Amino acid sequence: MLDSIDPKASTPIYRQIIHQIRRGVAAGLLAAGDRLPSVRELAARLLVNPNTVARVYRDLERDGLLETRRGQGTFVSSEAEAMAESERCHLIADQLRVVARDVRAFGLSEEAALTLFRDALTDEKPGRKDRR
Amino acid sequence: MSENEYAITSASLTKRFGRLRALDAVSARVPRGSIYGLMGPNGAGKTTFVRVLLNLINPTSGSAQVLGLDVVRESVAVRRRVGHVAALQPLWDWMTVRDYTDFMAGCYPTWRPEAVSKVLDRIGIDTQAKLGELSRGQRAIVSIAVAIGHEPDLLLLDEALTGLDPIARREILRNVIDAMQAEGRTVLITGQDIADMERICDHVGFLVKGRLVLESTLDDLKARVKRIRIEHPSEPEVQIPGGAIQVERSPRETVFTVEDFSSQLLDSLDGPQRRVAAEDLALEDIFIDLAQSHMEAAR
Repeated sequence: MLDSIDPKASTPIYRQIIHQIRRGVAAGLLAAGDRLPSVRELAARLLVNPNTVARVYRDLERDGLLETRRGQGTFVSSEAEAMAESERCHLIADQLRVVARDVRAFGLSEEAALTLFRDALTDEKPGRKDRR
Repeated sequence: MSENEYAITSASLTKRFGRLRALDAVSARVPRGSIYGLMGPNGAGKTTFVRVLLNLINPTSGSAQVLGLDVVRESVAVRRRVGHVAALQPLWDWMTVRDYTDFMAGCYPTWRPEAVSKVLDRIGIDTQAKLGELSRGQRAIVSIAVAIGHEPDLLLLDEALTGLDPIARREILRNVIDAMQAEGRTVLITGQDIADMERICDHVGFLVKGRLVLESTLDDLKARVKRIRIEHPSEPEVQIPGGAIQVERSPRETVFTVEDFSSQLLDSLDGPQRRVAAEDLALEDIFIDLAQSHMEAAR
């Protein structure tokens, strides 16, 4: 996490960094109180414009996910734990929307789509040895 | 046009070489504190623009200001506050790196030797080596170390990444990002290494045949220029909006680029038998689409 971005990807770099942090919180890689690299450190590590990193931090602060402590740096906020659950739901909902669009475009029935999703969940059940 | 708002402004800047208009009424504005990428196909006028700013050539008409200073009348003051790196910059091959940095230090009262050493040390350039013995990448690093030695307010990087290996390119980018930590410092970078420029630029300008056809923040540009994909398996042909460029029609799918994307546009294209999607474009694709459409329009 936060070790690279893809400048050739069509997704704007700003959104790539936001996504990495949100996903980090959702997946428990970033916990409340964790210190994030400074704007300068992260810009140098990702090789991106420092203004972009500053804007990511500002916007995630506004959303309550991060907080800046004067003179100490930027941290994952104490509310992040509570927000992690909704972050998880948001990230899954975003991906399902992409799938839903294809379901509609292909003219698949809701029943068939739900069955496919249930099968996928069964395949990914923790401990199942044959899962890919 | 206050000095505080813009590091570079030009007004109808024109440069003719005989019958060729290398710059054709260019009115550019580079905000202070930005990293501005000036892009364009070969021969578009990027280097000419930089050379006018440094008063290495005189404009035919129009004017330009750097840090509030007129580039022709106050060129000495401009040079004092600007750092410049050009592709394949001629260096004195017989000088050692140390001789060269010492020589440059003598030219500027504000020289900071420790800033220069930091850049050279990080990739282990031997200061006793002669400039002629260095690789192309190492020479580029020496050039940027020297360009920031006098703490310039504006850094002009003209094709500074062109033809460098990935390690040297990363090192140049790293130094540009480090240089940006100084309050209000501005960087203008020209070139065609667009993926690298997408990393670091927040403003872009496109020059095509001497004309500045577009100037924007990178975010606005990416929000405005989108690829629209319409899948229409049961309709023979779909109407496309006026102004669409790079149109590709196949029997059941139509794809094109728009320069003025909005969600209303997307709604207007939607239909019961279709799947309509807007796709983000990488800066490189935007560059190719816009350059081709403007080159065609100019023909």
